Parts: sequence; C-alpha cells; structure tokens
Amino acid sequence: MILLENVSKSFKNGVHALRDVNLYIEEGEFVYIIGPTGSGKSTLIKLLDGELVPTRGRVVVADTDVGKLRHSKVPLYRRNIGVVFQDFRLLPELTVFENIAFALQVIGLDKVTIRRRVREILELVSLEDKAKSFPRELSGGQQQRATIGRAIANRPRVLIADEPTGNLDPEKSQEIMALLEKINIEQNTTILMVTHDSNLVDMNKKRTIALEEGYIVADIQKGGYIHHD
Amino acid sequence: MIPYMMNFFKSFPFHLKSAGVSLIRHFVMTLSASSAVMITCILLSAFLMIVGNVNGFADNIEGDIRIHVVLNDTIQEEEQIAQSKNEIEQISGVLEAEFSSKDNELKLWIEEKGEIFSIYEGEDNPLNHAFFVSVNDSERIETITNQIKELEMVDDAMYGGDSITDLISLLNTVRFGIVIFMTLLGLLAVFLISNTIKMAIYSRNNEIMIMRNVGATNLFIKIPFMIEGMIIGMIGAIIPCILTFFGYRYLFMAMNGQLFTNVFALQPIWPFTFEIMCILMIGGALVGLLGALISTTKYLHWRR
Repeated sequence: MILLENVSKSFKNGVHALRDVNLYIEEGEFVYIIGPTGSGKSTLIKLLDGELVPTRGRVVVADTDVGKLRHSKVPLYRRNIGVVFQDFRLLPELTVFENIAFALQVIGLDKVTIRRRVREILELVSLEDKAKSFPRELSGGQQQRATIGRAIANRPRVLIADEPTGNLDPEKSQEIMALLEKINIEQNTTILMVTHDSNLVDMNKKRTIALEEGYIVADIQKGGYIHHD
Repeated sequence: MIPYMMNFFKSFPFHLKSAGVSLIRHFVMTLSASSAVMITCILLSAFLMIVGNVNGFADNIEGDIRIHVVLNDTIQEEEQIAQSKNEIEQISGVLEAEFSSKDNELKLWIEEKGEIFSIYEGEDNPLNHAFFVSVNDSERIETITNQIKELEMVDDAMYGGDSITDLISLLNTVRFGIVIFMTLLGLLAVFLISNTIKMAIYSRNNEIMIMRNVGATNLFIKIPFMIEGMIIGMIGAIIPCILTFFGYRYLFMAMNGQLFTNVFALQPIWPFTFEIMCILMIGGALVGLLGALISTTKYLHWRR
C-alpha cells in the first residue's frame, strides 16, 4: 500500500529531513512511527499526503507515484488519505454532524449520500447523541473522535494520525486507540500513527518504526517503544 | 465534463452560502472594494457617454465632409457634365458626385457672402458648374481631392479644410487617452478586490486547510471566492448604473438633445444608457472575478 524507495528530502535551508529511507507497509497494517522532535516524522507525513515532493527516491501510495503527481491531481489523490491532527481542527461554527458532512460536501457528493454516510460515521465513532453539538461542547476525546470521523468519512485507504492522543489523558487515549483499531479491522484501512506516547505503544504492541535525524533506526514487527538515553 | 457540471450545480448552494457569509463577515472590506469599483464605474460611465457621443458627432461630421469640385468653364453641355460625373465617380473611395449647376453655385455663394452678389444672377453668372463629391473614408479625403484635381475638366477641388480632419484626429486621440486611463483605473479596482479576497482567504484559512486535507479540488475551493469577487464588483456597479440613467437623462433634457447645433446631436437616452449599464455590470463582475482569481491562484499554488 505504501512504498518508499531511497527517499531523501532536504530543504533549501540545508536541513536534511529524511535520508535514504526505505519502507514498505502492507494494506491493512497498523504502524506506529516514533521518534524525537525533528526526526523527520512531519516530513514523512507531508510526503505521503502529497504536500511535499521527495528530493530523491520514490513515494508510492495506493499505486500512485506521489512525487510525480501534477499539481491539479493532488486533491484527487488526497481523497485516498485521511489525516487526523493533534489539535483536532474542527470548524468551531459547525456542529459535529456538519463538520463531518463538510468533508463530503467539498468533494461534491449529494445531500442524500452525505446524510447517510455521516450517520454511519457517527455510529462508528460513537457520537450519535452529539450530532447537533458544537465542538466547544465536547470533551477532548469526543472532539478527536469527531476529527477521526471526518478523516475517514470518504473511505480513505490510508489513515495518518499525527499525535492523535497528544492532548488527551491516558484513559481517553486508550479510547482513541480502540477506535483506530476498530477502523483498521472493520474497514481494512491502513493506519500510520505518529506518537510520542510510550505507554500507549507498549500497551498496544504493533509494528513500530523509529526515526532519528532522518534515518530509520529501527523497524520492529513485534513492537514496543524504543527508549533513548 | 458532465459529472463535473452536475457536481457544480449540486454544490452551488454551498458556494453561494460561503460567499455570502464571507461578504458579511468582511463588510468593511467589501464596502471599500466596492467603492473602488464604484468610482471606476462612474468614471467609466462618464467616459462612455463622452465616447459614445463623440463617435456620433464624428459620424455626423464625416457624413458632412464633401469635396467641392469646380469644373472648367469649357464644360457646358449636358453630355460633358455626365461624362465628368462618370469620371469622378470612377475614382476609388468616391461614394457619389452630386451635380450643382452654376445657378445653384451662385445661390450658395449669395447665401454665404451676402445679397450684394445677386446682381450676377442670370446671364452674367461668372461661376462654373460644380459637383459635391462625398467619400466613404474621411481619412483619405486629401488624396482623393488631389486625384480629382488632376482630372482635365476640373478647375479646382477643395474640401472643408484641415480644421475638420484635425477635429477628427483630435477625437481619435481623446478616445485613445481615455482607453488608457480606464485600463489603469480598472487595474486599481482589480488590485483592491484581490486584496479583499486575500483577507477573506486568510480568515477562512482553517476551512481551506480542511478542504485541502480531504481532497477538495482547487476549483471547488476557488468558486466561493470567485462568486464573492463578482458580487463585490456588481455591488460597486449598481450606483453608477443608476447615476448613468438619471444623469444622462437629465443632461439630455437640459441640453435639448444636442450640443450647440444639431451636428452634435446627443445619443438617444434609450438604448444608449442601457448599453452603458450593461457594460458597467459586466465590467464590474469581470473586474471582481479577475481580482478573486489572482489572489486565490496565488494562495493555492504556492503549495501542493
């Protein structure tokens, strides 16, 4: 599903964010990406969702060579990929229902389809009773569930979660983990989760890829957080 | 293409709503950009009124320019006159040669110079037969006059003189200057609108980011802003339209439909003002669209 071949990315200011990265992730996998700040995690995400073009090498997602996409084709490609952020980014003046519907409106779906799909999503993320609430009326965990709902609304094949539990307490984090696992299994969505949360990684062991200074320093199938000294 | 169109119509209420919300949210900016369009439109309207009328004047004057061709005194027989007419009309650019007998010439002379010349009426008429030649292109009047002078039976040929051709070329220069000035004003309006749209884009940064994240096409993101720009432009054009109609009607009535003489007849109120109003509305919408396109394209294309 995701293939990186000898991918390097350097910026004009001389920063080498990624160096010669090789990576293969199967369809339906659940992978953690860990590493300290500045290790290249954000760059990796941006390469995957087409915002950045690799300086060298090839990034292939869902049979698309992302680096070679024409500017005008990037939005269509991006429909394959859902992104969840640490800071939720819900639109404050819209209800939960409208926030999820917004993601479907802007890709031009019709009203009936949107309504049906949003109901499904609300059920999946257990927010049926919060459909008419505004983001400010929700707890952090609920807001993050709404964001995840929005990200998966148009059935992306890959879901990238950038520190989805960064603003949540351990209990709520576990709730989000459970939801992501459910999506992973029920919808066969490939999930990449960037995280700092060592407890979470240790408790829910999965394939773990560690980045440091732009290199992949570990890729452990059985999982577990790698501690640095 | 067809599914694209379908999507466009399905999403149109969405776009319209986004544009409306944004217009209200940036009320002051909308107002300032609209007033820029308004001033441009008022000037444009004034210029169009001048240009439209000047064009009318020029057409009138051009229609009046004729070459006065005086024949030799040897040309007296009807046959000779008919042949002369024929030869003059064969010159390219000549529309028609209208015969004016020497009696008629004297009558015109008396009209112009005074009753005293009426003593020459009858047998003593010293004038020759003549033609009034009209041409289809006033720019070439000088060459044609010279060509006529070359003809054997022609004594002299002259036209209204340089003052008229000077007037025509002056009008052309004025028209040219006006076009340049209008272009500059239009650019200013485009710039102001594009700034307003830029503000609107920044205040909707979050929305746009999410739209991009879930894969909305660039065009989809742009459409509400394009509508917003067009509405700003058209709001700016409304007041100038009203001013155009009532202002021109007032001027027309006050001046009795003409400027000094009926050579300078003013354009009729209808459809002249209607044409100007259409130009203002379309111009306003286009200026708004252009402004919106500039700022959205700038914003959306600096990153993927």
